[in-house]
Amino acid sequence: MVDDLTSNIGNKNEILLGIRNLTRIYTMGKVRVPALNNVTFNIKRGEFAAIMGKSGSGKSTLLHQLGLLDIPTSGEINIGGIDILKLSESQKAKFRLERFGYVFQEYALLPELTALENVFLPAMARGRKKEDYLKTGTKALEQVGLGARLHHRPREMSGGEQQRVAIARALINDPDILFADEPTANLDSSSTRQILELFQKLNRELGLTVLMVTHEPEDRKYVSRVIWLKDGELVEKEGIPGAGNLQIAKD
Amino acid sequence: MLTDLNLSLFLAYKSITKGNKGTLVLTIFIMSLIFVNLVFTASIFLGLGNTVNNQVINTLYGNIAVEPKKDEKYISDVHSLEQKINSVPGVTGISSQYVIGAAFSYKDKSGAWAIRSINPDDEKTVTIIHNFMIDGEYLSKLDTDEIILGKEIPGGYGGDLEHLSLGGVKIGESVDVLFNNGVKRSYRVKGVFDVNFQQSNNLAYISQNEMESVLGFNDKASLILIKTGETGNEEIYIKKFLELGIKEEIKPWTVYAAMVKNITKSFDMIALLIAVIGLFVASVTIFIIIYVNTISKRRQIGILRAIGIKENIIIQSYIFQAMFYAISGTIIGLFIMFFILEPWFIEHPLKFPVGYVSLLIVPEKVSINTISLIAAALAAGLIPSWMAVRETILEAIWGD
Repeated sequence: MVDDLTSNIGNKNEILLGIRNLTRIYTMGKVRVPALNNVTFNIKRGEFAAIMGKSGSGKSTLLHQLGLLDIPTSGEINIGGIDILKLSESQKAKFRLERFGYVFQEYALLPELTALENVFLPAMARGRKKEDYLKTGTKALEQVGLGARLHHRPREMSGGEQQRVAIARALINDPDILFADEPTANLDSSSTRQILELFQKLNRELGLTVLMVTHEPEDRKYVSRVIWLKDGELVEKEGIPGAGNLQIAKD
Repeated sequence: MLTDLNLSLFLAYKSITKGNKGTLVLTIFIMSLIFVNLVFTASIFLGLGNTVNNQVINTLYGNIAVEPKKDEKYISDVHSLEQKINSVPGVTGISSQYVIGAAFSYKDKSGAWAIRSINPDDEKTVTIIHNFMIDGEYLSKLDTDEIILGKEIPGGYGGDLEHLSLGGVKIGESVDVLFNNGVKRSYRVKGVFDVNFQQSNNLAYISQNEMESVLGFNDKASLILIKTGETGNEEIYIKKFLELGIKEEIKPWTVYAAMVKNITKSFDMIALLIAVIGLFVASVTIFIIIYVNTISKRRQIGILRAIGIKENIIIQSYIFQAMFYAISGTIIGLFIMFFILEPWFIEHPLKFPVGYVSLLIVPEKVSINTISLIAAALAAGLIPSWMAVRETILEAIWGD
């Protein structure tokens, strides 16, 4: 049950996500296109990992499977010893609401809502009290540097600001892991830097686990690990310049 | 459950208040017009039927009419019968009449019409003809050589059947009347009435005394009209009359209005047809609005589902929007009906061959139309939003 899964999973360095033989094959008419092929790796609590690879390598497909936005053809995703792919659709929705945070490429905010309303929406859906979600929403926006933009609507904000609102929304329910799908693809370099530094700050200061898809090589300097994909499979990649504390993928 | 409801309401509220104002106003305006169309059509037909019924009661038969026993031509011992009828509480008027066919002639014109004889004072307690004299005067009890004519008989008063009239009899002129028992008399036309009901306007009236001298007997009648305090309880009165031992045929006005029943049925059918079409238009309108809304917000719906908002919350939010359109349209429609159209029609009733017709707004009909419109809105909101959440999340967010 999802409720069982909401218990504390473990401490830092414990495995948060265990991915085993994850395969996703798209069927287009009679043609079968393998987007992911037997991908196996672990994500530890507190990691800031980037999924990188060429266009069409399966980066976003992998993120969608892990974030329960798509159904893989086969494989397992374990959290706390439970294969979350076996959950029902409503349990998956509850899981996404309570345990995962999402940041998409195109901000994905509701235009009718203010920044604060966009942020507290998931908390409201979780049944938290008004006083609580207003306070937490405000705090989350302050955390991303938008304390002065609480009541602005998306169209009144820049792309970078909108993406920070999306990050605050992703944080409101205190998720175990934040999935970011090319979150800086539509931003200028200054906003890109701000967003990535924000992820880094959240990862370091709050211990938030972040899994980010990116195609920008320079983004590697912000992450603690890169998961390389090529043609839907994990690859080892040595000697990456400027990698710093980079950990090579493939367990 | 309550959380889901709160969130649905919140999303619907924001979508309505922060969405496109022009679309909102136009949608509610269309809904209000559809509601007005539904209620107005039913009300005008009901008003028409009501007018006919009132005409039958007020100008022809009263609420209840007593006819002779089977196989008898006249009601006998009318005086004591009237006393029995009068003893029933709630009876407000009685008028005994002889009804006889007669041939009228004036100069070279002639025609056949029915003559009713009345005691004018009694008749005034049952019918309203005395209030609708368009020329001359009403009968008085002592008149013996005078007659009043319905508008269709004399000619020159704009009757619907002018070509069958006497061609222009003036007040004070005489018409020759040949009763169907062979008695021939001349009567001075004392007055002409127009009750806006062709069937009543085809009658002529003389005094009871005069008719009894024509027939050669008294204390009899062809018809006794009874007026009661309220319409609709005729069967209760009839039961009481029967308990008093009245053996004559006692009939409620509805028997005489049977001739218009088919018309009323046809009106009901037309009203129903228009209502069904109106509801269909309302459903399609709301469906299109919600459908376009869900198509344009397809990605948003995907995002909401991706972040864990349950599908039923999203569907409910669209249903609430549809309900808001329908309820707002209904409220404005009710305002238009009760504060604009109904007062206007009271002041300016439509003139039909059966009389002046105003709107008859019946609460049950209004309730049915309101419920139907809201139900149609519910379905029209549900289907497109349900279709929208049937897509996979990825299809919704990134499309095909």
